[in-house]
Amino acid sequence: MLTLSVNGAEHTVSATPETPLLYVLRNELKLTGPRFGCGIAQCGACAVLVDGKEVRACVAPVSTVAGKRVTTIEGLGSDAKLHPVQQAWIDEQVPQCGYCQSGMMIAAVVLLARNPDPSVAEIKDAFTNTPPSPHLCRCGTYSAIIDAVQRAAKAMRA
Amino acid sequence: MLTRRGFVQLGGALFVFLRMPAAEGETSSLDPTLLASWLEIRSDNTILARTGRTETGTGMSAFYAQMIAEELCVRPETIALVMGDTDRTPDGGYSAGFLTGAENVRKVAAYTCQALLALSATQLGVALPELTVSDGVVSGGGKSIRYGELVKGQHLDLQIPISGKPTRMDTSSGNGVAGLDGFVVTGSPAMKPMGQYKVIGTSFPMPGIPAKVTGKMQWSCDVTLPEMLHARMIRPATLGSTLISVGTVDKKRFPTAEVVKKGSLIAVVSPNEWEAVSATRSVAAGTKWTEWAGLPGSESLTKSLREKEWGSPASRGNADDVAAALVNAPRTISASYEQPYVRHAPIGPFVALADVRADGMVTVWTHSSHSQGLRARIANLLAISTEKVVVRWLEHAGQYGRTTFGGDGAESDAVILSQLTGKPVRVQWTLQEDLAWSTVSPAWVSDMKAGVDGNGRITVVHSSFFSPNNFDARLLGAMLAGMPCGTTKTGGWVATEWPYDKIQNRLEQAYAMPNLGAASVTGGLRGNIMRTPGQRQQNFALEGLLNEAAAAAGADPIQFRIEHTTDQRLIDVLKATAKAAGWEPRAAPHANARKTGIAAVTGRGVCAIKRSNAYWVGIAEVSVIPASGVLQVTKFTIGLECGKIINPRQLDRCMKSGLVMGLSEALKEEVTFDRGRVTSTDWNSYRILTMAETPEIQVVQISRDDVGFGTGGEAANAVAPPAVAAAFFDATGVMARRIPLTPAYLSAILRP
Repeated sequence: MLTLSVNGAEHTVSATPETPLLYVLRNELKLTGPRFGCGIAQCGACAVLVDGKEVRACVAPVSTVAGKRVTTIEGLGSDAKLHPVQQAWIDEQVPQCGYCQSGMMIAAVVLLARNPDPSVAEIKDAFTNTPPSPHLCRCGTYSAIIDAVQRAAKAMRA
Repeated sequence: MLTRRGFVQLGGALFVFLRMPAAEGETSSLDPTLLASWLEIRSDNTILARTGRTETGTGMSAFYAQMIAEELCVRPETIALVMGDTDRTPDGGYSAGFLTGAENVRKVAAYTCQALLALSATQLGVALPELTVSDGVVSGGGKSIRYGELVKGQHLDLQIPISGKPTRMDTSSGNGVAGLDGFVVTGSPAMKPMGQYKVIGTSFPMPGIPAKVTGKMQWSCDVTLPEMLHARMIRPATLGSTLISVGTVDKKRFPTAEVVKKGSLIAVVSPNEWEAVSATRSVAAGTKWTEWAGLPGSESLTKSLREKEWGSPASRGNADDVAAALVNAPRTISASYEQPYVRHAPIGPFVALADVRADGMVTVWTHSSHSQGLRARIANLLAISTEKVVVRWLEHAGQYGRTTFGGDGAESDAVILSQLTGKPVRVQWTLQEDLAWSTVSPAWVSDMKAGVDGNGRITVVHSSFFSPNNFDARLLGAMLAGMPCGTTKTGGWVATEWPYDKIQNRLEQAYAMPNLGAASVTGGLRGNIMRTPGQRQQNFALEGLLNEAAAAAGADPIQFRIEHTTDQRLIDVLKATAKAAGWEPRAAPHANARKTGIAAVTGRGVCAIKRSNAYWVGIAEVSVIPASGVLQVTKFTIGLECGKIINPRQLDRCMKSGLVMGLSEALKEEVTFDRGRVTSTDWNSYRILTMAETPEIQVVQISRDDVGFGTGGEAANAVAPPAVAAAFFDATGVMARRIPLTPAYLSAILRP
């Protein structure tokens, strides 16, 4: 049995150690914010934070995150106070279908932690060239995401 | 029309009586003639509205709420929508566009408002003409009453006039079904003049967004049932392979996994999803298939299409007049355009859950954009009445048209597996499976010929369009299992709407053929419609021809378009978009155009499209490095006049994101295949636009009160390819007549 720290709570899970984190989050812990996109770390829909860094949950064996802090979009903010990134996603009406957006918000949180005032070029670079793959949106919401990242950055600097 | 039926004990709602359909197969599950099926006004002043249409990611859930709120004179925040469930919505219909379904709820809201005013007149003892209504409060004669109070404990016996039938199987239609619109609300209830709108025209937020960004949304992939099995499919080695033998499950490693098989449909199921995934890989490795090689290979696609015997086309226009005008024209311009197979390629692959019960009832959880169509197909698959099938809709990744005719992804797999196992089965496709086995938007080849007068102005156009089947929505799982999968019929399809009315001599001919590899077990490359279907491809050729003719005439391409139309709506949006883009009139190519060198050259290009009461203009600005053939779109200005704009911000989002899909099609996308199978099966081999490749996008919106509503979301993708190709010509002086505009293709045409 593995013990995981997810969104500030400890969970003991029964999954085998090689099971990707995504299946444990979704099926055992009922955290369905991270989503199955490609299963091969090519799209970013499954992204979560592990000790503040972006991890693609679809390929990360659950054993590799034991003892670390896992955060999903469910744990970014609270009902009383959304994370500024989530609020910006609402204020800018970013999602179209929205399927990729939890991963996009995770990428935004990571970017804003290291760069509190990113330029458009820096946002594009972060969402495209950060390994292991670009964050892909098939609806094409990229320009709305850029608007929302800048809005969130402003709110977080205030 | 309106009667009071006395006190209703339960629910506290006005409209609570629902009844089951009158004739089997002839209705949806809710009787569409009863107001109760469409709308409930609750005693707390909230409203529940039902529509068979679905949210496809373009903001329909906001637009529907706005439409209803406007005609009912309430705030949109008070409206909750039930969408897409076949047992809980009245009209059915597909979600290919927004207009037909929205008109249904708009009329229902208008009928209801009239009924409520009449009821208020009685209740308040005030004459009808003296009553006004605002935010759900009816006032007059110094008195007022809220809708919730007015309707409390009463039953409004209001009949909704309808026509049409729900979607049903139909072997005579190309796509295999009839009744795409489902039930249509008829009549002409008094509706608010556009000039008096308070809700339509505002940027009401899309209702589902807060749940989507907090992780609270239940998506179709999130539904679970007791005893549910997870399934992964094992697909044939090629599009035409049949099964020789199935691999076995290593029970030591995968104790709960089982192989389930019917015909060539093979799956591994397990209560544990990861065990299903792992066991499937192991079983697939040991599964043997026959060999098949019935495709031309994507490298030889155009050659293969050129060699076909196409038969007679669907035609629009006068062949004799066009032939005579071409003979008489002082000059003609001819060009051929090519577009590859592309696909919808959502970020979330198909997923579905089915529960086939021992009592014969079937429930399917899906994100299909056409629940009633899927319902008819599932009933046909199992040879049961549609009344036995319930389709529940939930949000999921965008479909972009691929489920429009009720066609499936994982749904028939799930139904067949549930029937075989006697348990609910959830089928999740992999990305590789989705990019290989979902339907595709077929390739098009277009031969265009224009005759021009002494001033270079076009007097006659002959368009010939060639494409494999675009209407195959047959169920894949059913085909593999050897069960009834529906039908498809090939037919030519002229999709363009003609915006250049001064060119009166025109002939458009569309030639059709079956799917590539049609004779295979799985029907080959199953062609199906995708965003701005047919028209995107045909307009690429038409607008390409316009740009070539403008260049040949030495004319500015925007002025050239204006000279070929009397349609003021097109002229207005051309001028407004040109102004926003800072367009200075001149002919293409640019004086500095160059087709060699490592220094970048720049160019600009324009195109237009008319679609469903909307006019679009795109202006692309590009930078090209001739030596490498690398093209970057640096800025794009997109203009739209779609009648009355319902929601400016959602429209802004739709225009920008749809344009990104179009740029992706213009620059990158192509389904590749060898002789037997699709080879572009992940995001490295089926490439779509990234954020870094997204240009600065400027949006121009024109709203009008005098032409009704148009479709504001769909055609944004169609304005990208012709404008970008024209900008490449402006930069280099070389015509690009094929997409995608990859460095390899552009290098090849720069150095032929």
